[in-house]
Amino acid sequence: MPKGKRNSDAEELDLVPIMNLVTILIPFLLMASSFVTLAAIDSTLPAIGPPTEATETDDEEEKLNLSIAVTDEGFTVMGGDGTLRSEGADGEKGATLPCKRPGCPTPDSYDTAGLTELLSDIKDRWKDEENVILVPESQVSYEALIYTMDAAREDPDQKETDENGSSRNRLLFPNVVIAGGAQ
Amino acid sequence: MGKKKSRRGSGEGALSITSMMDMMTIILVFLLKSYQTEDVSVAPSEDLQIPISSAQKSPKLAVNVVVSRKDIVVDGAWVLDLDRSISSETGAEEIVVPDEEKRGQLISKLYDLMLEKAETAKDLGARTGSEDFEFKGEVLLQVDKRMPFSVVREVMFTAGQAQFGNFRFVVIKGGG
Repeated sequence: MPKGKRNSDAEELDLVPIMNLVTILIPFLLMASSFVTLAAIDSTLPAIGPPTEATETDDEEEKLNLSIAVTDEGFTVMGGDGTLRSEGADGEKGATLPCKRPGCPTPDSYDTAGLTELLSDIKDRWKDEENVILVPESQVSYEALIYTMDAAREDPDQKETDENGSSRNRLLFPNVVIAGGAQ
Repeated sequence: MGKKKSRRGSGEGALSITSMMDMMTIILVFLLKSYQTEDVSVAPSEDLQIPISSAQKSPKLAVNVVVSRKDIVVDGAWVLDLDRSISSETGAEEIVVPDEEKRGQLISKLYDLMLEKAETAKDLGARTGSEDFEFKGEVLLQVDKRMPFSVVREVMFTAGQAQFGNFRFVVIKGGG
């Protein structure tokens, strides 16, 4: 019984002004808060222009020139001058990744997991290479393009430590260049 | 008078707002946490669905080109409407840039506007002499995820011709 009485005796704190303040703050914050966070994928145009003498690289080590063609049949991974074919462990088979469903009707039907795996193998051999050229066909949807860039950027199944010592997904080929593509 | 007024609140029928306060405080903390100001804002609609990606880099402010299924908008200003046509190969409906708006691959109206923006940005960079305002040819692309690459290519080509060579594709952060 005395327990019930205690509250009514004590001086109650006047919370009404705080309530007013909070009620005003809530709609304001609701308006300003965003529940969708955005990100950006960087890309550049392929350099156009006459080849310059300075870029002659006869004596340098072989360049990879990795490119991925995105067509209605799936992905085709190519290296410059057949570099991939000569060194690839799985040779010809590794070059083309067909879609999970014939005709690639939706962006999901592309075999992005297979692409990541293949690129991961390629990255093992060319550790310093970071560039990839995308060559999409005209009717390929923008979403499929984004999925391809995602698959080429990092491998979620493998971890590595970055310069700050924290763990992150293994980076594969983060620098994407989009070429004009097949007509 | 004053005495009377101060007593009113502590009358017997006073509403207990403590639980309400608890709730409000929790909502307030949650909203404060999700509050963030971003340089780039997207207004998604039926005609503009931004794809989801695992990219983590946050977008920086640049010339904003929005390519929805209806039209192309640059920095909030409408530029041109897009057309729908039936593809001769697949028979499916697809989005195209109207032929009369194009010179080859170049989208004329978009080119004129972007060239103007490039000149303005360069002028500003030269006047201020500051690195922050230097023209880097950056452009933010917000493209509907169902857009065929042919339209994206024409927009990119046009931007490239107008000296905007660094593209940032705006995506929604999510997934692994």
